[in-house]
Amino acid sequence: MMQWTSFVQKAQSFIDPANFSLPTLSSSDRNPSKASLFRQQFRLPDSQNPLQEITAELILPIPHTPSSTSPGEPARNLVDRAGNRYAGRLHLSERFLCFSTQPTSFTPSASLGASTHWAGQTNGTGPSGNGFTIPLCCIRRVERLNSLSHVFSLALTTWNGALGKQQNSEFVPQRFTIQLAGSRQACERFCDGLKKGLRECMKEIENLRIVVNNCYSEYLLSGAKSKAQNGEALEARQPPDAGLGMMFRYPGDARKLRDRSKMRLWGEYFRENGRNATLIRQPTFHKLIRVGLPNRLRGEIWEVTSGSFYLHLRSPNLYTETLSKFSGQESLAIDEIEKDLNRSLPEYAGFQSEEGIGRLRRVLTAYSWTNAEIGYCQAMNIVVAALLIYMSEAQAFFLLSVLCDRLLPGYYSTTMYGTLLDQKVFESLVEKTMPVLWDHLTKSDVQLSVVSLPWFLSLYINSMPLVFAFRVLDVFFLEGPKVLFQVGLAILRINGEELLDIQDDGSFISVLKAYFSRLDESAHPRSENPKLRAITRFQELMVVAFKEFSQITHQTITEQREKHKDAVLENIESFAKRTSIRNLGPDSKKLSMDDLGVIYDRYYEVLYDRQQRQKLQEEERQRQEKKRVERTSILGPPVDREVGRVGLGPSPTHMDYDAFRDFLAATAKWAIADSPGSSRKKSTAEQGFNSFRGWGKSTALWNNKPEPADHEFTRRLFSKWATDPNEGLSLQNVVNGLARLKGPRDIMNNINYFFDLYDDHGTGQVDREGILRMSEALLFLSRRGFEGAITPTQSVEDVRAKEHDQDKLSTDERFLGSVSSFIRRCFEYADPSHPDRAAKGQNDEDAAETADKLGSFSIGDDEEDLIDVDDDDAKSTDSTGTEKPAKQVTEDKPTAHHNRSASESANPALDPNNPLHITLPTFRMVILADELLEQFFDSFFPQSFHLSDHGLEALASSSLSSNLTTFSNIGAAKPQPSPAAGASVAGASGGIVPPGKGLRGVLDNIVSDGIRMAAEVKKRMDEAQRELERSALNRDDEEEDEEEEFDSRGGVATTSAMVGGISSWGAGAYGADPERRSVRDADRDLLEGAEVISMRGKDDASLLDDKDDNKQDRGNHNPHDPSHDDQNLVSKVEFES
Amino acid sequence: MSESTSTNTPKPSSSVKLVLLGEAAVGKSSLVLRFVNNDFQENKEPTIGAAFLTQKCSLPTRTIKFEIWDTAGQERFASLAPMYYRNAQAALVVYDVTKPSSLTKAKHWVAELQRQASPGIVIALVGNKLDLTNDGNDAAGETPAEAEGESAAADGDETAGETQEGQDVTPGDARKVPTREASAYAEEEGLLFFETSAKTGTNVVDVFTAIANAIPESSLKSGRAGGAGTGQTSLGSGRPAEDSRVNLGERGPATAKEGCAC
Repeated sequence: MMQWTSFVQKAQSFIDPANFSLPTLSSSDRNPSKASLFRQQFRLPDSQNPLQEITAELILPIPHTPSSTSPGEPARNLVDRAGNRYAGRLHLSERFLCFSTQPTSFTPSASLGASTHWAGQTNGTGPSGNGFTIPLCCIRRVERLNSLSHVFSLALTTWNGALGKQQNSEFVPQRFTIQLAGSRQACERFCDGLKKGLRECMKEIENLRIVVNNCYSEYLLSGAKSKAQNGEALEARQPPDAGLGMMFRYPGDARKLRDRSKMRLWGEYFRENGRNATLIRQPTFHKLIRVGLPNRLRGEIWEVTSGSFYLHLRSPNLYTETLSKFSGQESLAIDEIEKDLNRSLPEYAGFQSEEGIGRLRRVLTAYSWTNAEIGYCQAMNIVVAALLIYMSEAQAFFLLSVLCDRLLPGYYSTTMYGTLLDQKVFESLVEKTMPVLWDHLTKSDVQLSVVSLPWFLSLYINSMPLVFAFRVLDVFFLEGPKVLFQVGLAILRINGEELLDIQDDGSFISVLKAYFSRLDESAHPRSENPKLRAITRFQELMVVAFKEFSQITHQTITEQREKHKDAVLENIESFAKRTSIRNLGPDSKKLSMDDLGVIYDRYYEVLYDRQQRQKLQEEERQRQEKKRVERTSILGPPVDREVGRVGLGPSPTHMDYDAFRDFLAATAKWAIADSPGSSRKKSTAEQGFNSFRGWGKSTALWNNKPEPADHEFTRRLFSKWATDPNEGLSLQNVVNGLARLKGPRDIMNNINYFFDLYDDHGTGQVDREGILRMSEALLFLSRRGFEGAITPTQSVEDVRAKEHDQDKLSTDERFLGSVSSFIRRCFEYADPSHPDRAAKGQNDEDAAETADKLGSFSIGDDEEDLIDVDDDDAKSTDSTGTEKPAKQVTEDKPTAHHNRSASESANPALDPNNPLHITLPTFRMVILADELLEQFFDSFFPQSFHLSDHGLEALASSSLSSNLTTFSNIGAAKPQPSPAAGASVAGASGGIVPPGKGLRGVLDNIVSDGIRMAAEVKKRMDEAQRELERSALNRDDEEEDEEEEFDSRGGVATTSAMVGGISSWGAGAYGADPERRSVRDADRDLLEGAEVISMRGKDDASLLDDKDDNKQDRGNHNPHDPSHDDQNLVSKVEFES
Repeated sequence: MSESTSTNTPKPSSSVKLVLLGEAAVGKSSLVLRFVNNDFQENKEPTIGAAFLTQKCSLPTRTIKFEIWDTAGQERFASLAPMYYRNAQAALVVYDVTKPSSLTKAKHWVAELQRQASPGIVIALVGNKLDLTNDGNDAAGETPAEAEGESAAADGDETAGETQEGQDVTPGDARKVPTREASAYAEEEGLLFFETSAKTGTNVVDVFTAIANAIPESSLKSGRAGGAGTGQTSLGSGRPAEDSRVNLGERGPATAKEGCAC
């Protein structure tokens, strides 16, 4: 039922092209590239998505200075006296309102090219241009202004400066106007979105208060004010933590750095344009950053420009919580951190003290816990040490997170691919911009990256004197990674002449070392012009970097990274591959290098493939539930980051059972499932191993890959190979496992290995159940033929076997015979587990009789039965049907004559009341007694695992299509011989007729019937056992009836049962689904109800100010009582401030 | 190739690119610091990527200028290593005699170098932190040459190795890697082998001189002019050039023996 509907759907999807785009359409509302560009531009956290955007004009009020404001003038009128105006685009995300003069669109319909446009020439204004990124919780009220009817103007009032303890009577709230340009509809939609966002963000004002009150800018402004009023207030308030510099002095000479005047300028800027969360970027902002930040504001401005401030705002206590959550725990990262604590900027006084060391230890440790994938990488210690000079621990923690996740992607990962990639990018940029120097370096065999790598990895902090490195960082946090490239290129350009003289790495390094040590000297010491003489080498460097290399944009970097990424990752991967193959230990030496390479590739391919599939399924599930889950932790790798390659970072290290099946299916032909769904049915029927199975694997996701079979044998193999089956298989496990099988050809080893697999208790004994399972496994392994590994001796039969096909046919067929004689012999030579009980069982007439019947069925009948079944199918094909019984007879002759006597001794052996077992020597003897089984273990079994010898693809393609046990598909498969078969025909000049697919299909029939037969034998044994138990109670002779019933069912019954099972299962799932959905619906209703209720509560306290009469008159979307709202608002303000 | 030009001067100078590899905190940078500045620091800034230093080493017939690339030891920096051992003529693979895992890592590096580095690269296996072991304590007062003589004697000598292992049990000895185990491995792979202490200076210079001697003349490219003059004096501030030459004389046979194995 379900299968049918899904099939129909599938078919429709092929017919209707619209269906193809369905998934992309539905996920387009959060198109990753758009959203991530949006986040990058405004430095927003990963949780933010572009929801709305509209063209708008930002109108700032004329700066409010004490001199320009007469005391009586109401502040509100200021807004109408417009100052600077900026045209740009206004964006709304879940928690932020952003405005930028960079004309960028992030709507899904806009082309990607337009979106990346912001990365174009920035002319020093940074990627976000002029404008603002304001958290919605910072907006105190929004009013719609009564202006011309065709203009839609909003006046925004923020919490800027209003969150502090004391409220000043002269306090003027920050207020500015935004004019929306767009259709009335578009404007109103934007306003609706804004209103909704504002409501939801109200609750975050407490976070805002916590974070903002720790900003130095708040202290600077409020402190300065209270100083003017009364000196006591200043003393009462401790300045917020602005880094170790407050205790241990900031690097550099504050006077020379003109710190005081910079501070004054920033104070002015903050007063006019807001600070921290409510800062508005105007051109002065960018200029002030270029000249270098004042010491005490540096940390805060880094936080705002890099966007780490917004992470901090989201969870102000994350840092301390993380530390306390993991306190006392140990990790590799912590050990590594500990080693480096004493060697991070050791020349700075703060890091010669316990205080500084302690801060460094805590920040690095906390980060290693939040991002375990990165943990700790050397160079992070240096970067964090530098940050801590200017920032509090929490600030540094969040900034480190932004650095690792966004600004320096992949730099500190376990493969450091980001570092290597950016080195490649840098080299290619040098080649492009300074071809002469590049040629010289290449000719002198000097590798640029040995010099430039530390520049990027530790952000110039270790290369330049600290004061200058911090100047680079100031711009870097504002404008992004391109700054590192621009500065690096400028260094080479300025030293170009000297570098053209160098001969080797050593002189290259010393030229640059000398340059860095003289950065504070005049760039033009001999110039007549005093102004020119005053320019330092560092200033020159900045000018060259940002003027001469202004064409190096974020987009350049992105493109170059894209271009070199594959090569870099391949390099890393080949390094990782050869390293890990080399370290696989002594067992791996039994396999060839090529084999190991194949195992390695296949192992990771399977793991990453599964990872990817799981990710897709997860996304699909979320999509279906229409649920947008916010990530649990706000830190960590970006949501849209790339995964799925060894080179990108830590790889999965263990393979679960399902992955192992995938691996086997790519390795051995027998590990491929017969037909979709059958393996699943089997596996769910089996118990004990179900825990290995992942949730909801759908066959639709096995795109083009053979579906792996699930058989008891594969499970045994898995448990055997794993050191800890719950943990899964490591690469080492897989290699060791294969090495034992595929190592030096040794039949004894293989026989022992197989026996071991079934020696469940490690006692060196395999019981009756085990023997049957062994025979099942033998049939399972052989059901796809022997790939020519087994050839019966060409004796009497080869006269009859005129054709190749028939020869093959008889091999498979005779293997069946071998397996059944295997069972027989095993029982024959088995030792009784309890000799006394065995004797007793012999006396038990009833039991013996039952066993006799069973025995004769399982030993003698199964072959004949098989042939009958086969004959029914293949009667018309050729003469094989008639030949077979004859062959069978000849083959069985040696055993047949003592069959009678053997069965007599075997009968008691089959009695379930007589536990028995075989030992390894018995097993060996039984195997070696049969030519085919001997060959099986000598060559086929180890050879069936295909590594580098020959690809399984060719083999699979020739047999896969015909592996279904229905006769009808033989005809379908016949007219299209596989390319591989065709090729072999051509190669053999047509002398040999390739094995027909029809015959192969018949063969597969026989084999799978054989498997079924073995299963039936076991089932019968169980039944007999139950029967015996029952008959022991009430001596009822019903076995014969049951047996007859069974016979009539034959092999067909099992197939129909299987189909029935699937359909009923399908119906169950189908039926359950709407039920589940309805539950969810109910949940949702409940949730929505709750939301409505809470919303109502919030509405009353809404910060959306509805006071303006004109707005109310229009009655657009404010049904509330204005006076009531106003009251609430006032009370709210009092409460919060 | 440029050999002809350098033979004109009485004492030719050539530069040799040498790379240090090994697990983190085995003392790679300290070995270099001892060799280059004859100094030891407890807290050295961790190496980011790699540090580059040079030092000259004077041999009786020529001067070798070592261009030393001291690589970062943290595991994840391993993928950067190929960048540094590219074209290297010599390699110092360092392990910590008190940490068996570091020898395993060293073996990995040796295997990597043998397969990936330039052919004919001279590799020295160096067990550092000898000062933490009993022999280190005993040898601290002795001259490096004598200490080297001991371990060189232990190289092929079964009984010496056994007594070595016996010493492991003695209290206060932090040694976890028997000399015999490491030297047997070194012999098998054709590596130079030393146990050193960067802290006390034991055997440090010897390692570099042995490498200098083991570099085949043919693979030497001449250094820049003027390099030869300063070579002799710069070989360790406290160690006159004379001294090192004597050392070399003594070490001659041992080096030759080990060199043969290459």
